[in-house]
Amino acid sequence: MTDPRELVGRLAGDDRVQLIGVRHHSPVLAAAVPAMLDAFAPETLLVELPAEMQPWVRWLADPETVTPVALAAGSRAFYPFADFSPELVALRWARRRGVPVVCCDLPLADRAPRESPVTGPEIGPSLGAAVHRSLTGRAGDDLWDRWIEAGAPGSSPEAVRRAALAAGWALRHDAERHGVDPVDLRREACMRGHLRGTSGRVSVVVGAFHAPVLLDGPVLEDAADRPAPVISLVPYTFDLLDARSGYPAGIRDPRWQQAVLDSGGDPERIRLATHTFAVEVTRQLRAQGRPAGPGEAAEVVRLAGDLAALRSLPAPGRGELVEALQTVLAQGAPTGIGRGVAHAMDAVLIGRRRGRLPAGAPRTGLLPAVEDELGRLRLPGPGQAAQRIRLDPLRSPTDRERELVIRRLGACGAAYGDPGTSGPALGGEALTTVWRVEWTPSTDAALAVAGLHGVSLVQATEGLLAMRRRREIEQGGPTAEQALTGLEVAAACGLPGLAALRIRDVRQAVCHGGGIAQIVAGLNLLDRVERGHVAGLTTPPDGITDVRDDLHAAAVAAIGGLTGSARVEDARALHDLVQAADEAGRLMRLDHAVRGLARDGTPLMSGAAVAVGVLLGHSAPEEFGRRLASWADLPAAEATDRLRGALSVAGALLQSGGPVLEPLLDVVDGLSDDDFVRRLPALRGGFDALSPADRDRLLHTVGERHGAVREQLAAGPATVAAWLTADRAGLAAVRALGLTEPVAAAGAVPPAAAGPVEPGAISPGQRWRLLLGRETDRLPADQRRLATALDEIYGAGRGEGAYPIDGGGAGREPAYPQAREWLEDLESLFGTEVRDEVLARAAERGRLDAVLAADPQQVRPSVDLLHAVLSLAGGLPESRLARLRPLVARLTAELTAQLARRIRPALVGLSTPRPTRRPTGRLDLGATVRRNLHTVRPGPDGRAQVLPQQPVFRSPGRRSVDWQVVLLVDVSGSMEQSTVWAALTASVLAGVPALRTRFVTFSTEVIDLTDRVDDPLSLLLEIRVGGGTHIAAGLRYARQITVVPQRTMVIVISDFEEGYAIGDLLAAVRALADDGTTLLGCASLDDKGRPRYSTGVAAQLAGAGMPVAALSPTELARWIGEQVR
Amino acid sequence: MTVVRQIDPPEHRYAEELEFLVAADAGRRPPGWRLTPRAVVTFVAGSGGVPFGGRVIAPKFVGERALIERCVVTLAGERGLLLVGEPGTAKSMLSELFAAAICGTSALAVQGTAGTSEDQLRYGWNYALLLATGPTPEALVPSPVLTAMTTGAVARVEEITRCLPEVQDALVSIMSERRISVPELTGTDDAVAHAVPGFCLIATANLRDRGVSEMSAALKRRFNFEVVPPIADLDAEVALVTRQARAAVERGGAAFSVDDAVLETLVTAFRDLRTGFSAEGWEVERPSSVMSTAEAVAVAASIGLSEAYLPGPDPLSLLPGHLLGVVRKDDPGDAARLLAYWDGALRRRAEGGARMWRQLWEHRDVLRD
Repeated sequence: MTDPRELVGRLAGDDRVQLIGVRHHSPVLAAAVPAMLDAFAPETLLVELPAEMQPWVRWLADPETVTPVALAAGSRAFYPFADFSPELVALRWARRRGVPVVCCDLPLADRAPRESPVTGPEIGPSLGAAVHRSLTGRAGDDLWDRWIEAGAPGSSPEAVRRAALAAGWALRHDAERHGVDPVDLRREACMRGHLRGTSGRVSVVVGAFHAPVLLDGPVLEDAADRPAPVISLVPYTFDLLDARSGYPAGIRDPRWQQAVLDSGGDPERIRLATHTFAVEVTRQLRAQGRPAGPGEAAEVVRLAGDLAALRSLPAPGRGELVEALQTVLAQGAPTGIGRGVAHAMDAVLIGRRRGRLPAGAPRTGLLPAVEDELGRLRLPGPGQAAQRIRLDPLRSPTDRERELVIRRLGACGAAYGDPGTSGPALGGEALTTVWRVEWTPSTDAALAVAGLHGVSLVQATEGLLAMRRRREIEQGGPTAEQALTGLEVAAACGLPGLAALRIRDVRQAVCHGGGIAQIVAGLNLLDRVERGHVAGLTTPPDGITDVRDDLHAAAVAAIGGLTGSARVEDARALHDLVQAADEAGRLMRLDHAVRGLARDGTPLMSGAAVAVGVLLGHSAPEEFGRRLASWADLPAAEATDRLRGALSVAGALLQSGGPVLEPLLDVVDGLSDDDFVRRLPALRGGFDALSPADRDRLLHTVGERHGAVREQLAAGPATVAAWLTADRAGLAAVRALGLTEPVAAAGAVPPAAAGPVEPGAISPGQRWRLLLGRETDRLPADQRRLATALDEIYGAGRGEGAYPIDGGGAGREPAYPQAREWLEDLESLFGTEVRDEVLARAAERGRLDAVLAADPQQVRPSVDLLHAVLSLAGGLPESRLARLRPLVARLTAELTAQLARRIRPALVGLSTPRPTRRPTGRLDLGATVRRNLHTVRPGPDGRAQVLPQQPVFRSPGRRSVDWQVVLLVDVSGSMEQSTVWAALTASVLAGVPALRTRFVTFSTEVIDLTDRVDDPLSLLLEIRVGGGTHIAAGLRYARQITVVPQRTMVIVISDFEEGYAIGDLLAAVRALADDGTTLLGCASLDDKGRPRYSTGVAAQLAGAGMPVAALSPTELARWIGEQVR
Repeated sequence: MTVVRQIDPPEHRYAEELEFLVAADAGRRPPGWRLTPRAVVTFVAGSGGVPFGGRVIAPKFVGERALIERCVVTLAGERGLLLVGEPGTAKSMLSELFAAAICGTSALAVQGTAGTSEDQLRYGWNYALLLATGPTPEALVPSPVLTAMTTGAVARVEEITRCLPEVQDALVSIMSERRISVPELTGTDDAVAHAVPGFCLIATANLRDRGVSEMSAALKRRFNFEVVPPIADLDAEVALVTRQARAAVERGGAAFSVDDAVLETLVTAFRDLRTGFSAEGWEVERPSSVMSTAEAVAVAASIGLSEAYLPGPDPLSLLPGHLLGVVRKDDPGDAARLLAYWDGALRRRAEGGARMWRQLWEHRDVLRD
């Protein structure tokens, strides 16, 4: 290897050519460029801009142009310029001096990639790595930043130039080990050609990477002849110039770079600039309400300065400043104050500067580009009539382009295409699209705004969408919802780069913070993208399989969060999730989770989990059959829910009969009539999960077993009736004689009624008709009453077959005109207990009349019933509410009394003083003497003297214990049982003298109901459910009302499916935790300890300082007691 | 006579190297410091293979140099240094090294616990003397912090977040006023103990520890925070684990015979579970338990001990059980997360044909409950 020094010396020392190797943005170099050019006094200036940009040089260098601006050629090339771009500085210098400028780079038209790079063998360690090791700073910092930007201030212009050339040589050297891009080689050949063709002294301002090869080498001969792209000069912003904006050729923290340029590379002035920036960041922090003052700013400046000194730098660079700001201000907390610091640093270091074009510059940009494109695709442009079109983007390439244009215009906010429905697509997705397209004035307006983000439609769309994504990230997101929408839009608009980013977002947001619904939606979306059904993305982005795998993992993890669900949709989602995860091979945890769910879940989820186990082959059908049968004996509500769960997942399995169905059939057959009638409402509720058509099929399967139940009796109805009459008469005669029933009588019964059924009782076939609620018109009259009473609540069912064309409801008894009659009927048919259960179910289903008809004194109080009634109460006008009030009042009063009996013991004695070693000011003399007996010394007068080495105090008593308990209750979505329990618990807590209880409900808005906390009835009736979930808003309110953080407990009762940015939520939690508040998240607050919640968010909350658990009210009270003591 | 210690404090262990560094760099040093800041950085982070003043200094802390530089610069200023990070990231070792290099002793330390009282941060009394002679400077029992103040040394407070908040706050006045007044000695010269130049404070705190008390905002603002990350480099971590596990097993007189491949597998598994990402970039669900390097060392040592005393056919078969033991500390859900790791990254590697991972996959039944 030749000595690098010698090589660089040769590059820098050429007599005719002054090579200025630059980076596109480099304040230190930009500050030095005029002096370099002055010293060399070239006759011509060559800059690395494509030849097509030659006409734009005069506008770029115009004194009226305010940076930042950008030169763009369609979506192919993008050159942002700021005051600290050395090229722009050189152009301005040339304009001042009247030196001609040549754009010497290869024309853009000639830049199609030709062949893959020639890869050389890798020998030895990379030079860049070697150089990097010798430099200071953080491990991830850019080589150029450390070498040139941090090291160069204060050096002479010539020294800066040489250092830049050396850095470029090092980069080049490393790149050559992997092979240089052929396009780059061609560009260099072109530049060499220009260089050789220019006579006299030349200065070349060119990327440092290209500089080492410009002096020698072949020149370009075969210039390609292709149409030149349209060049536009557009204003730009610092915001977009920042490298993190996702735009090409940016630089970190433009405002800081501008400040370095303004200091002219003078170390002392750069140091002064750090003072300004440090003070501004602390001011921003104060504006956010965080303590940060001149003391902190001074420490930032000192730390940055001393770091620079320790690293032998002439002045603190950007790296030192950032390190100092983070060390001094961020307190090692990424979620709490750390986020605030990051915001403040963004605002101060990036800046908001906007560029402006000089008057008279040609108008270019997005609008003409869009019009051209529409014309090319024969879509209506400005002033043309609206069209209605049907596109088939997956087959026709032109249609695909049209589709993309329409979608992109939509994403830019320009109202252009209006989607229509593309016809019926039942059970599938539409692959063609229908649009009504028209150019409207608002299209003009929207494109004028979008023009800031790019000069072609694709660029502007990508820019706008990327900015939206950045906004979401700034606000602590994106949320799962935003990530999914973002991916969908990016895919539809055909932006593979953005789609790849969005896929990462999906991975982040949906896998960690998504609910079940979002995980399923994410899987579906990825599936569509992967199969190429989204017109924009013909080839699925890389990494999509990885993300899908992660989503599967998240699905498995989310199963645990379903433990407490009582929704049939969740049971069905469980099936989908499990199926997907099973295909992905995540068996071990899946098995664990499903078994856990079957063991600990609510009856509904438990039933579903057991059924899922069979479907996946984890357990045998026989076993499932036995379990299914055993549920028939469970308490009513339990049996209903388990059956519902299992059937909503495995209904089809049952229809096939066999070992799954047999045990249940046996059980149903084996019940005595009384038992059967008592169990009937519960089981009927379970089978209601099946659609009517499914129930018909099941009935058919059952009928096959009891084959003879069919209506067509072998002997004809008249004959059988005659037999029966004769049989009955005989039986009566035997009885009249006082004899016991003859065993042989069974033999006389026709085969149809075979089995251990008493004559005149309900036959198996009839039982199943009752259970399934189908073909009830074929039942005898007394049984039909049973069926009708149950149909009153369950109706005909939902799903397939619910609305039969032939009026299948025919034959049903007329519905009850009065709810009271129905209730009476229920009681007489099934008994009081069953009536209450049915009543609760009726309330759940919105049967207000039934609830109103119930006698408040007769119903058994239960939280289930109260919950159901309150769910109804939400939407009622006061006049009807008044009629409901007695019932709610009784339920509330009874339940509160019960709860208070259970809770009080846990909170007794909170206000009794206890001995403590913490100095409270109230000395416990007796305890102190006892504790310090070992220090007794005889005094001079012979009296024993105690040395109170370990004083013992009394803890504060009733008056001074003043804990605040803030119950934050999520009332989004629906009235949950947890909400009812929370209100009851709050009212009990309100009666404890040592606690001040506050009751706050939140959805998207926060309502403080503390003034009603003493009265659970009005509290419960005051709660209004609905809206989205914004936990962070609730937490911020809790923080506002906190008086003494150290003696405040904030208890959040929610399912933690936050609809807003997770980052914001974590910050809010962190802020409370930082204050010293005691936090607790309750995924559920009920008797069962079975939560339904988002496990991903809960885990992140626990990390931020809020442990999440499922508690019963008693456990909660015990926990509160522990905190206070 | 040399007493064998279980752990040798750094000022003894590196006494000779420190002596050399004192002489090697004649640059300006902050008041009260034995070494120049540059020499302190070199002592901790090593000289990068290049001789420093004629001698190559080995790194004692595996990590980023910029972090060490920031710490040293902080210590040269007026604020305290608070090292935070996950358990087992060598925060305490780092603070010992700084103390030994800057003032020659790492002994002035207070261990923070829930029982730590204000006396341990300020001063206490020798009650017998107090009684006999009244409040005199002789009867005063200075805390390590007070000693460090009066001698211009580095005081260390370990696990500061475990102290009760009101005890922590005793440090606020010490750090802002830089003096401790002793009201009992009012009227004498010793009524106020002033900090001598060179006094500074290093505290350490765990981020992911249960049962910690949050620091007050006032105290936080008197510290510069440095987050000590877990070791970033796999090879460095494997080397560290091997070295320490070997030392632990050999201290007991047994031979350490665990295969390097096994140790690498172990460390990789720990890193995956700690970072939430596998080396290949696959997502891994993080358990809430701490998966620190220190824990990895403990597991490696346990495997080493079982190999030494109860040799079995395959040391790898012990790993799932040990991992389960590390993970299953407080959250029962963590066991499920370990299963997810087996389902995900581990299964994929096994399918990819990596021998060690295939073996681990074979041993998956250990995890079933």
